[in-house]
Amino acid sequence: MSPVLETRDLSRRFGGVDAVAGVSMAVEEGTVLGIIGPNGAGKSTLINLITGHVKPSHGQVLVDGRDVTGRKPWAIAKERVARTFQIVKPFRNLTVRENVAIGAMYGPERAGSAREAIAQAEEALERVGLGERAELAPGELSVADARRLELAKALAMRPRVLLLDEVMAGLRPDEIEPSLALIRSLRDDGVTILVVEHVMRAIMAVSDEVLVMHEGRELTRGAPEAVVKDERVIEAYLGERYARRARGEDADPDGGREPEGGDAAG
Amino acid sequence: MNVTAKERPGAAVGPRVGGGLGGRAWIWAALIALGLVILVLAPTYLLLESEQRTLASVFMFVVLAQGWNLIGGFAGYPSFGNVVFFGLGGYTTAVLMAKAGANFWLTVPAAAVVGLGFAALMGIPILRLKGHYFAIATLGVAEGMREVVINVGGLTGGNKGITVPAVGSEATTSYPGNTGFYFYFLALAVLSIVVVWAVSRSRFGYALRAISQDEDAAAAAGINTTRAKIAAFALSGMLTALAGAIYAFQQVTIYPERLFSVDITVLMVVMCVLGGAGTVLGPVIGGVLLQYLSEWLRDNFTDYHTFVFGAIIVIAVLVLPMGIVNFARDSWKGRRIAPFEAVRQYRL
Repeated sequence: MSPVLETRDLSRRFGGVDAVAGVSMAVEEGTVLGIIGPNGAGKSTLINLITGHVKPSHGQVLVDGRDVTGRKPWAIAKERVARTFQIVKPFRNLTVRENVAIGAMYGPERAGSAREAIAQAEEALERVGLGERAELAPGELSVADARRLELAKALAMRPRVLLLDEVMAGLRPDEIEPSLALIRSLRDDGVTILVVEHVMRAIMAVSDEVLVMHEGRELTRGAPEAVVKDERVIEAYLGERYARRARGEDADPDGGREPEGGDAAG
Repeated sequence: MNVTAKERPGAAVGPRVGGGLGGRAWIWAALIALGLVILVLAPTYLLLESEQRTLASVFMFVVLAQGWNLIGGFAGYPSFGNVVFFGLGGYTTAVLMAKAGANFWLTVPAAAVVGLGFAALMGIPILRLKGHYFAIATLGVAEGMREVVINVGGLTGGNKGITVPAVGSEATTSYPGNTGFYFYFLALAVLSIVVVWAVSRSRFGYALRAISQDEDAAAAAGINTTRAKIAAFALSGMLTALAGAIYAFQQVTIYPERLFSVDITVLMVVMCVLGGAGTVLGPVIGGVLLQYLSEWLRDNFTDYHTFVFGAIIVIAVLVLPMGIVNFARDSWKGRRIAPFEAVRQYRL
């Protein structure tokens, strides 16, 4: 089986910094790839490179085996690649329903008219649980609902590949569970999903495979259970001292003052 | 089946789109038809020639404000050089009539093509800029174009202006007089309103509104932002150039200083913004109110009418930065917004 989404040696330099350096990966149809890594690891840049919002300095992006490197974001969207943004980007001058309808208007299955698309928005709204708030302005939504709106906008495009950039950030634990259930149900529908997330527990619960990024590079990848136990991962996230302490060789007198790091970076 | 009409318990704001309003749509259609009938009959039964001239200029500014609305209101690109299309449209008509002896009606489509084409061409590089930078660049193009027109005096008459053959044996088209121009500008105003109305309900209109908020998100949703922006600018340029074409014939003699005057751009912007940018009715209301006010002030405060006019605009923008139409809609829905809060709320 060939992967639906693939990157080959994907790289991007900003000034003298390698934001993303030689990331190669392949995601099979209907699977979830989780991407974790500390702040500045290049996770969002990786998504921006895939969707064409940032041009790669080097390397390739393939969707369904077709090279789409360097194409404009709207052309990538036509390949049924949808995304959310880490910082939510609602269209504030439109209602929640109209926001979602934009995806149906200009997505791969262009609706015949604006009205048709607005009717089609219903399905995505219901799926994320925003049906009741469809006529509100985005500014009237809670943080959790604003994240759901981001997701609904992407879903309205009926994507084959869905790139989720921290859709669970800032949510309470009881708000995270429905999001996880939604990701699972999308995967079961055959959508290929890439999840960038800081909430470790969430990403472990939902990913078939986890890619750990550090300073723009792939640090390691594998099954979620294996990755969390990987010492290099703990080190990258929490620093060397914490890693030593975890190994039980705490030689550092200040070691005890390290932050309690259950969920890694919050 | 119209989903927008479904009852929703959490709905605080009524559906803004969908149009399936049944009875209300008929009332609107009837009111618009009645208004049009009155406007068509008015010159014969109600208006003096001078009043027709005033109304013609009111209609012209409605067209200019609607033209600006497409790029500045819907797409959110504050063009401060839209007068360049007005000037180019006017000079296209004047030069073709005066130098080529063309019939006025043949110059009108030519002016439309020039406005559309120039907007598209200048849009390709300039629409990459945003906000203030876009505003400054468009202003620069308009100012530059005036100098170009002045300097190709052989064709345009330079600073001395150009006169179209409107009377006598040289006239290529008989001069229609005040009543004629009243109708030309009325027809163009109606056209501009219909165009903007159609855009506001179309996918294209939604694309522009999305672009005005966030271009990255719009592009991620599959909108070809470059193409949509250029199309909006081209349509804006076309409507504006058409107004310029009729204006040139109406004035008979035109000068670069007037046809490329930054005052005209400022008026379009203020009319559109004060009426309600990004709405269909806003530029109509803004255009009618301000142009009428301006004419009235000129008649009644001959010496300091510009000062009074400016003061009124400043106060109006402070009190109603969201525009009359948006203010009315929000008041209607019971959503009150404090005057200075509005700037933030509407992301002006």
